[in-house]
Amino acid sequence: MNNRLRVLRAERKWSQAELAERLGVSRQTVNAIETGKYDPSLPLAFGLARVFELRIEEIFDPTLEKTPA
Amino acid sequence: MADTESTRSWLLGCDMTPADRRKIWRFNALAFVWMAAFVAGSFVARRGEQPLLGWALAALTALLGIAVVAFYVRFLRSADELLRKIQLEALALAFGVGIIFMVTYRLCERLGAPSLDIADPMIVMVITWVVGQLIGARRYR
Repeated sequence: MNNRLRVLRAERKWSQAELAERLGVSRQTVNAIETGKYDPSLPLAFGLARVFELRIEEIFDPTLEKTPA
Repeated sequence: MADTESTRSWLLGCDMTPADRRKIWRFNALAFVWMAAFVAGSFVARRGEQPLLGWALAALTALLGIAVVAFYVRFLRSADELLRKIQLEALALAFGVGIIFMVTYRLCERLGAPSLDIADPMIVMVITWVVGQLIGARRYR
């Protein structure tokens, strides 16, 4: 699933480690989601929505271009 | 939030939360004690002088094995979800390779290959599990 995670994170000037800390996951998990290698579970997707104060569909969209690694 | 700050594990080559890292170390320590009980039991059984102690160590080895598996299952349930995925994929690979190895070698034995020790397939599965974890850590890097 493609997503806007990298853009949203950059807008807030958060590092991957910082976002991981906010979500309670590893930095590798954030990186794998950003690069489209891993689709998060529903609870983690809701966690991302909460952290970014957005709706899930504003973060994840299958029609988006994949974020390059 | 320091508890969730991710750190790279030299052991598995992937990032982990400090909580997961602590649990991995506890798992390794418990597995080490389990193997120590197995080695001690093997030593006593080979000497054959104290059968009661040998049986006691065999029972202890079984109990420690159950403790290791229970700890690992609890760890998996609470682990970071990507780490859990990597672990499950590695376990699936180890199980598959172990079954293929046992079935294939069973045929080879019937064709005249030397008989295997019961521990040999276990070694293949453990090595495959470790390799599977390294592959997973690399795949999701």
